[in-house]
Amino acid sequence: MSILFSGRVSSGAAEHKISLGRRFVMFWVNHLRQAVASLGELWRTPSASILTIGVLGVSLTLPATLHLLVKNVQQVSDSFTQAAEISLFIKDGSSDTQISSLQKILQADSAVARVTHISKQQALDEFAAVSGFGAALNYLTDNPLPDVLLVLPKNTNADSARQLLQRLSKERIVEFGKLDIDWLTRLDAIVSLLRQAVLVIAILLLGAVLLIIGNTIRLSIMNKKDEIEVMKLVGATDAFIQRPFLYGGIWYGVFGGLLAFLIVEAMLWWLQGAIVSVTSLYDSEFSLMALSLAEFAGLMLLAMALGLSGSYLSVRRHISAIEPTGP
Amino acid sequence: MLEFADVSKSYPGGFVALDRVSFKLEKGEMAFLTGHSGAGKSTLLKLISLIERPSVGKVLINDVDLSRIRRPHIPYVRRDIGIIFQNHRLLMNHTVFDNVALPLVIEGFSGKDMVKRVHAALDKVGLLDKVRCLPHTLSGGEQQRVGIARAVVNKPPLLLADEPTGNLDPDLSKEIMRVFEAFNQVGVSVLVATHDLGLVARMKYRTLTLKQGKMINDGLLQYQEDPL
Repeated sequence: MSILFSGRVSSGAAEHKISLGRRFVMFWVNHLRQAVASLGELWRTPSASILTIGVLGVSLTLPATLHLLVKNVQQVSDSFTQAAEISLFIKDGSSDTQISSLQKILQADSAVARVTHISKQQALDEFAAVSGFGAALNYLTDNPLPDVLLVLPKNTNADSARQLLQRLSKERIVEFGKLDIDWLTRLDAIVSLLRQAVLVIAILLLGAVLLIIGNTIRLSIMNKKDEIEVMKLVGATDAFIQRPFLYGGIWYGVFGGLLAFLIVEAMLWWLQGAIVSVTSLYDSEFSLMALSLAEFAGLMLLAMALGLSGSYLSVRRHISAIEPTGP
Repeated sequence: MLEFADVSKSYPGGFVALDRVSFKLEKGEMAFLTGHSGAGKSTLLKLISLIERPSVGKVLINDVDLSRIRRPHIPYVRRDIGIIFQNHRLLMNHTVFDNVALPLVIEGFSGKDMVKRVHAALDKVGLLDKVRCLPHTLSGGEQQRVGIARAVVNKPPLLLADEPTGNLDPDLSKEIMRVFEAFNQVGVSVLVATHDLGLVARMKYRTLTLKQGKMINDGLLQYQEDPL
């Protein structure tokens, strides 16, 4: 395109009437070439690049780790929802037939998964065995413990379990029902608090990543001020001058993301042993969840997007500010 | 080709660098621009290459008013003008080939076509054997010729040179001028800013002389200065 001299062909592609398809291929080949070239640029300044990548890696590690923490805590709390059992304490003096007929009615209830009957005597035996008051209990003239029906709701979330509890408490022979759900809602609240805290911290750290990349790119623009002036004088558009810096930002993102991934994996590997010994004490089948493939891809995409936008913010301001001062 | 119509340029602070300068450079014409340092030569070249804008008056290239060129289009205008710098402004960590190829890369050339043009340009300035060298291994004259090759590699219709012989000895200066003449002979308009009056007088080309921002001479330079 020549503004001053119509008819002067100045574009390499236009001159040869290259087909659209080939031009499309050339477009990507050129981009690939520039991407590789800016990778070489990072390679030429290894110490500065490694420092920047290190800072990025650490900054991205923290949100990734916190994300894993939330994910694992959630896994634990999910496994606890199974424990949302309703205990129905039966009125003293109810006959065994009344209890077993209630048990049958409940078993037929569509909202109930399972009903278990713990009789007075079973409860007393268990209490004697577990509490260590075995001998003292022998002095009791009668059994103070009630019959209990343990009801496991089909739908284990807190609200529907609570509704079921209200309904079952109205049964004639039920003294009162108890749903140990308060601690579950507390745990849920803590998890969601944790998740929001993680979100805030992640946003702050990602902001830091943006600024770090922006500043690194700004420095490399300043280092190449002379070169940029010359390029502008021989007719380079801002877009052309920007491109290698944008690719540089993406590369920082790629390497920073990879580093963060490696750090997280190393940390998981390190913690695995300790966690196994803790969970075996609690008789739990808990195993630490690592980053899934989708999460890894997400981390890399996020890092690359941050690299690109960080360098774009910096490039847009500083490249147009550099103007050649004289021929 | 190039026309200045009553162009004045004053800088903030009131310094008047150019004062109602008018001249016309025809297609295929070669001219010198002389004057002491501070006379306005650099400002005049800056107005052509759109580094500065005139305060008053119009600069036209090929009847296109440069004041109509918006900022995003400036690079495209500069591609039509070959500029040679006094301190040659080569990219020191790139080879001679890369330096000369830069304007072509910017315009989207690639492959064989680019190599052919770069070699042709380097051949014209007699540096074909230095293609793979880094600029700092070359002499001052050679570096300046690399700068010329870069300016002409995309065959611009207008060539500007700012003190191209500033740091060179007389023989090298003459050699550089011969290169400009050769381009002029194939139809390129050439404007050379220089304070080397002896050289200008010997070359017998139209000479524009600036003094304190005013055009005081337009034509052949009359006096003959002592040879160096």
